[in-house]
Amino acid sequence: MNGAWHAVAVSVFLTGAVLVAVSALAALRMRRAVDRLHLLAPMTTLGVPLVAIGLVIDRGWSLPSAEICLTCVLLAVTGPVMSSAAARVASAREGSIPQEEPE
Amino acid sequence: MSPWLIGDLILLGAALPAALWICARGDAVDRLVGLEMGGVVTSLALLAFSEGVGEPGYLIVPLLTAVLSCIGTLVFTRLLAPRP
Repeated sequence: MNGAWHAVAVSVFLTGAVLVAVSALAALRMRRAVDRLHLLAPMTTLGVPLVAIGLVIDRGWSLPSAEICLTCVLLAVTGPVMSSAAARVASAREGSIPQEEPE
Repeated sequence: MSPWLIGDLILLGAALPAALWICARGDAVDRLVGLEMGGVVTSLALLAFSEGVGEPGYLIVPLLTAVLSCIGTLVFTRLLAPRP
């Protein structure tokens, strides 16, 4: 791995880490759970892939890289599922949507 | 200190305390959002830590954390849903 690729990998990784940190800190300013869930979206769909891409660029194609990719795909796929489930519970508790089970 | 550990420090020093703060305040759904956020941040921090210390064997921990975090959150949403 030459120096340029290492610099690219570190830049991408640190961008992802800072994005996750900024999203989490911004969530502190929100008052409602649904508003906070909006800030979870950039964390899982942008921050997580950036961190993974940075790590994989630095490591190259290998078995640990596949494990990193699997972890990040899992986080990116399950993030919206968890968010929508939590948003549904929040809305049901607020009375915004009916409480019966979806068809 | 390697850049991976610096990223780890950013996640553990800024993102995780924010998630824990959200987890510790408000009603049950607010805490659930904090738990969800904490799961994502913990998985990323463990990934960065594994790279920082150069131990690929540690990568199984964030993988399991991601799986368990998702399952745990979905169980909590089931428990917190109001009864019709």
